[in-house]
Amino acid sequence: MSKRFQLAIGLALMLILIPVSASAMHIMEGFLPPVWCISWGALTIPFIVMGLFSINKTVRENPRLKILIAMAGAFAFVLSALKIPSVTGSCSHPTGVGLGAILFGPSAMSVLGLIVLLFQALLLAHGGLTTLGANTFSMAVVGPLAAYFIFRLVKKAGGPQWLAVFLGAALGDLLTYVTTSVQLALAFPAEIGGFGASLAKFTGIFAVTQIPLAISEGILTVLIFNAIAAYGKDELKALKLFSPGGANHAK
Amino acid sequence: MLSIDKYAYSSKLAGIDPMQKLFFTFITLGVCLWANDWVISLLVIFIAVGAAVIKGGIPIRIFAKMLLIPMVFLVIGVLSIAINASSSAEFFLISVQVAGTAIGITSSGAINAFNLFIKAIGSVSCLYFLSLTTPITDLLDAMRRLKVPRLFTELMGLIYRFIFVLLERSGTMFTAQSSRLGYSTLSTGYRSLAALASTLFIDAYRRSDELYTSLEARGYEGELRVLPRSYNKSRAGYICTAVLNILLICTALALRHL
Repeated sequence: MSKRFQLAIGLALMLILIPVSASAMHIMEGFLPPVWCISWGALTIPFIVMGLFSINKTVRENPRLKILIAMAGAFAFVLSALKIPSVTGSCSHPTGVGLGAILFGPSAMSVLGLIVLLFQALLLAHGGLTTLGANTFSMAVVGPLAAYFIFRLVKKAGGPQWLAVFLGAALGDLLTYVTTSVQLALAFPAEIGGFGASLAKFTGIFAVTQIPLAISEGILTVLIFNAIAAYGKDELKALKLFSPGGANHAK
Repeated sequence: MLSIDKYAYSSKLAGIDPMQKLFFTFITLGVCLWANDWVISLLVIFIAVGAAVIKGGIPIRIFAKMLLIPMVFLVIGVLSIAINASSSAEFFLISVQVAGTAIGITSSGAINAFNLFIKAIGSVSCLYFLSLTTPITDLLDAMRRLKVPRLFTELMGLIYRFIFVLLERSGTMFTAQSSRLGYSTLSTGYRSLAALASTLFIDAYRRSDELYTSLEARGYEGELRVLPRSYNKSRAGYICTAVLNILLICTALALRHL
């Protein structure tokens, strides 16, 4: 077999066998028409501005926290680069959406999420610049907000902490993908059946790949959260300052 | 660990003003999205790859490898747009009957999907040109000049530096765990990963605390000031971008009237 032929077979096999991972669910550069790039970007800006104001306020009261917030952003990036062990042998990456929202609060997460997505686009080639608005909306606005409120809701209803963390992380993850499906369906309504048919197609595909991922992310977040609660009590207390109602509800 | 970052620092275009590269990337990307035509998209791929490989000195092998990263999303996305279901098979170019409904591809759907496929690769090439030739520190400098809020660029700068510290840390822990069979079965894998992530978090927290203390000892008052880099003064980038894109726009308009 010539070297060139081997290479071609290798490339073909790689294309077929590349595992579908969570990071493959960032909408890639150039996939959305310009109208939708701009609309989702405009929709995201208020959340980012709110997040910046909230971080600014926290930092002015306690300058030490600026470094901590930055460290949290880097932590979210590194977390998304880790591999979750999975049954099928294919790898997937945690999104860290749920954990971040519970630890740092949804408003700080919007800004951190935007920065992490920007770095993922530039340093890891996941996602893109024109689709940054749409990706930020699903992963840094909808996901964290959902995770945070589900976490609070379960805690308020008297549910155990592990359940609150699990549901927050897993449902936050799922809602992120539902949002991505809606974004894709809006941009590409089906020729036959329009938006509804298109949404059914995209959610159908995501459901197959993402429900197992959301469950494993939920389990992982519970394990991480328990470990942090056991070994990092003092750190969790300090986090109270920028996530009122989030981390300080932890035991 | 992050090879894109390494190439960005060592590329031949690293000394050029990042504004020029941003201008090239966004204008070409914009034209590619606006034209929505596979001929233009192909031309954009050639221009972006050419700029990165010939001007920037990036090995073409690396560029090709990077183009494979978003392929899963692209193939799944394009196929789900192209494939439709309907009660009758008359609209379709090719179709299969499954339980009374026809599932297939219409001719216009196939054309749209093909256009989208090439367009996405064209846009991704523009993005790769930027990320393979522009170090993040230069990009931050450009963002500061574009009046992006100070707090945002500062957080970005800090996060960029911490990413490498934490990546190294997590890499060491991962090696240590897997050499002790920490990832041999699924359940130990989960336990190890949870231990890794939580230790990393606590470690990051303590590091940030120590870093703040040491910064404060050196007179830190909430801002890290660095001198902006001086760049190559040539304006060739702007002129090339403008000429190439005007040509692209003219071609696109001509193609539309054909």
